[in-house]
Amino acid sequence: MFQNYFKSAWRSLWKNKSTSIINIVGLSVGMTAAVLIFIWVQNEMSYDNYNKDAANIYRLTTNLKTEGWIWETTPLLLADAVKKEVPEIEKIARLYSGDMPVFNINNNLSYEKNCAFVDDDWFNIFHYDFIEGNAASFANDINSIILTASEATKYFGSANNAMGKIIHADSLNYVVKAIVKDAPVNSSFQYSAFIPLQNLLRNADRKSNDENWDNANYITFIKVQPTVNISALTKKITNVLQLRSGDTEKQSSISLEDLKDMHFETDLQSSFFASGNKNTVYIFSVLGILLLIIACVNYVNLTTAKASLRAKEVSVRKMVGAGRMQLFNQFLSEAFLVSIIALAITLLLVKLCLPAFNTITDKHFSLSLLSASLWKVVGITLLSAFVLNSIYPAMVLSSFKPLHVFRGFTVLKLKDNYLRKGLVTLQFTFSVMLIAGTIIIYKQMQFIQQTNPGYNRSQVLMTHVPPNVDFSKKDQLVNVIKQELLAQSSIQNVSLTNQPILNIGSYSTGAADWAGRDTTFNPKIAQLSVDADYANTMQLQMNEGRWFEKNNESDKNNVILNETAVKELNIPKPYIGQRFTWKGKKGQIIGIVKDFKYKSLHDKTGPLVVFQNPAWANLFMIKVAPGNAQQAVNALQKIWKQILPGNPLEYNFLDDSFNQLYKADRQTSSLILIFAVIAIIVSCLGLFGLAAFAAEQRTKEIGIRKVLGATVANITTLISKDFVKLVCIAIVIATPLSLLAMNKWIQSFAYRIKMSWWIFVVAGLIALLIALITVSFQSIKAAIANPVESLRSE
Amino acid sequence: MQNNMIKISNLEKIYRTEEVETIALNKMNMEVKEGEFVAVMGPSGCGKSTLLNILGLLDDPNGGSFLFNGEEIAHYNERQRANLRKRTIGFVFQSFNLIDELTVFENVELPLIYTGVKASERKERVEAALDKMQIMHRRNHYPQQLSGGQQQRVAVARAVVNQPKLILADEPTGNLDSSNGNEVMALLTDLNDAGTTIVMVTHSEHDAKYAHRIIRMLDGQTVTESILREQL
Repeated sequence: MFQNYFKSAWRSLWKNKSTSIINIVGLSVGMTAAVLIFIWVQNEMSYDNYNKDAANIYRLTTNLKTEGWIWETTPLLLADAVKKEVPEIEKIARLYSGDMPVFNINNNLSYEKNCAFVDDDWFNIFHYDFIEGNAASFANDINSIILTASEATKYFGSANNAMGKIIHADSLNYVVKAIVKDAPVNSSFQYSAFIPLQNLLRNADRKSNDENWDNANYITFIKVQPTVNISALTKKITNVLQLRSGDTEKQSSISLEDLKDMHFETDLQSSFFASGNKNTVYIFSVLGILLLIIACVNYVNLTTAKASLRAKEVSVRKMVGAGRMQLFNQFLSEAFLVSIIALAITLLLVKLCLPAFNTITDKHFSLSLLSASLWKVVGITLLSAFVLNSIYPAMVLSSFKPLHVFRGFTVLKLKDNYLRKGLVTLQFTFSVMLIAGTIIIYKQMQFIQQTNPGYNRSQVLMTHVPPNVDFSKKDQLVNVIKQELLAQSSIQNVSLTNQPILNIGSYSTGAADWAGRDTTFNPKIAQLSVDADYANTMQLQMNEGRWFEKNNESDKNNVILNETAVKELNIPKPYIGQRFTWKGKKGQIIGIVKDFKYKSLHDKTGPLVVFQNPAWANLFMIKVAPGNAQQAVNALQKIWKQILPGNPLEYNFLDDSFNQLYKADRQTSSLILIFAVIAIIVSCLGLFGLAAFAAEQRTKEIGIRKVLGATVANITTLISKDFVKLVCIAIVIATPLSLLAMNKWIQSFAYRIKMSWWIFVVAGLIALLIALITVSFQSIKAAIANPVESLRSE
Repeated sequence: MQNNMIKISNLEKIYRTEEVETIALNKMNMEVKEGEFVAVMGPSGCGKSTLLNILGLLDDPNGGSFLFNGEEIAHYNERQRANLRKRTIGFVFQSFNLIDELTVFENVELPLIYTGVKASERKERVEAALDKMQIMHRRNHYPQQLSGGQQQRVAVARAVVNQPKLILADEPTGNLDSSNGNEVMALLTDLNDAGTTIVMVTHSEHDAKYAHRIIRMLDGQTVTESILREQL
């Protein structure tokens, strides 16, 4: 029976080649987009789930009652204390990932950026696949190091080769004791090297600093028995913290956060882990589903539109004994066949698109046909496409009354026709929304590029002062470097600061005092430490007053405010010369700098205090002479090697960091653009098929009209009119919807474009134009056909 | 005396559209005996085809009684009708109604598939039917590769492959030239001689003469009946 179904299905596909191609191409493209989106969504939703004990693993977070802050870090000593006092905890491990040790391998220096310092039990709590060696050997030797396979290959050519090798790092020698597989894509712990935590604490300064209960610098994970009462356990751990830290007022407490929830945690002050955004996940899930629906609409529309051509076959089958169920199954088989062919093409397309998709999403998904999760995604996509494609057309087709066919009745009821129109409208509504979205996102991105941030970001090189420089000699050292750099003709200016100007994340509360301040007013103020050359290097504009001067002793205590600070702090006039105390140093306001955007345009520019503190000088800002970027880099490299031979040079251009700042926005905009294009292509494919069918059905009518004197233009209009009407309805529906959706998106920017009415007009016109071209192709073809031919064929 | 295979009494069929009500069958009465060959004649629109469709269980009447082998089936639902249809009735149409995507063999095989006959038996029966209709040599051709006469022979083969008790023929020679038409009529007569009951709608007096009895219809009713020859 099924053999017969598939045989007929295959022949029917073969006979209607053009329709089949439209169906299969549209479905494959839509399914490819959906599969890619769902791979990403599944990855986001399954973060850290690969750990077998994920349900019993928790992160301890510290809550500070007064500030209302939640830290993902806990004091170093907490782990040792609870290990002793709380028996319910099966395993406990701390993580520190704030250091970038400099690895020296055969005299090649490089920062190991993804280095984790962990307790031994780290490997007993989290799942790792050991390729070579084991966790025990790591635990036994404080100087051991574990590398991931790709890191081992990077340094030593292969995993095997790396075992037992020595890595020299910051005056210590580590022995490679084990190789683990790279972390899966859905892991929060994307580390490539692991070093015992005890090693970090060899540094006496760090040890004494961190063994203070007030300093919370370590992320602590615990694994508990499945039967443990979590709220009771939380109380117990909090008690330990409060007792040991002498927090008699119970200002701090500990919370236990489920490992599975960690990825979407939003309440933290900051996090070392890449966090996900549930909203984005939902939005893209909806996008994936919609793209799939758009693709399926084509199949449903073309199949039901062409139903009359199949009506005879259905009737004959019924007459020779086919039951409705048997016919239903036959058309299901056809939809299934189409879906399966589309699936094969989809897998190929996914494979081809994956590298580009990885670039856009910044992930490293791979297409393994053995992966269960891939098949889950593919299976669900296939099933949804099959169900969407099959049920309705199969119902329509199997429901024909044979008589009606032979008697020449229209086999399709009016409501089928409306449904088809509705589906086309749906496709174009979605397409118009995506086009409008793309335009708005593009305009906003353009606005970001073109907005004058109040400083000049072009041709500025940045490099950090190495973290391992002896603190007492740092001042002198950075000045030597600065002078050497300034001696280069390729370098115009050099300044030292604490943070990159485009994203200052350093704030202070309660460190400022000024004339007329209400003593209860302690606003959060951004802080920027600079030197006398900063204004020139960054080309900042002064509103009034002056910038810091070299060798001006009193300037060491003086400050410069931005315009917003003057306003928000209610500084009394005249501003210049007002007394201003900053971090205990009593000085004056010597200048008001014009507001510049020291955060991304997502955030409003707030109050900023600019001051001088050489101890905070961690970042060189180097202004390169126009057209001399390469020479400047060469010079920097040479000077670096000469003065700081033990430290690799890592630099970047401010322009690149600026682009990095809007990476997530650019990812979104690229994806939306791609999906808009896909939606339009797939919708137009369907429209193309429907128009072809409409023209074919009206061949006789067109012939008669032409004989009676209709022009090509008349006929083209006749055929196109119906479709254009649908697209117009879609525009009307899409405009308020996209306005709503895009308004939500653009609200996330403090500085944004106005969404003018013309954007929606343009989006509508683009959709209309594309639809018109698609339809015209068929209608003109029908219109220029010789009427004699078409009438004879009747 | 043969039993009645079909007995309809006061059968009504009314087609309604939004504006028009057409009475296709107006309290029609008719009987067909087992093994009989009946020709139904009448002008276009008199209700012949409607009658044939109701007899063929393709359509349901609005009123009246329809006894098939003594069982009242006027109230049967679609599934029951389909079941009865595929076991007992074969159809032959003016326009052949073969499925273009299937070969001659597959077209004839179709009724056997739907009645769940095993593949090996299907092959045997289809080949026997094709042989009987002298179209065996065309078994792997598609309908559009055959002449009209050949197509109708395939259609007849398909109608008889399930060994139905009743064959309903709707203008079976309407699309054929006279020699092909005569051939098809000869086939039907052979089938009737072998015991199959036949009801044939036709415009052709020539074809009608092959039947035992002619029923003439007008406006949805029987007007005259004439017996041409006695059923053996």
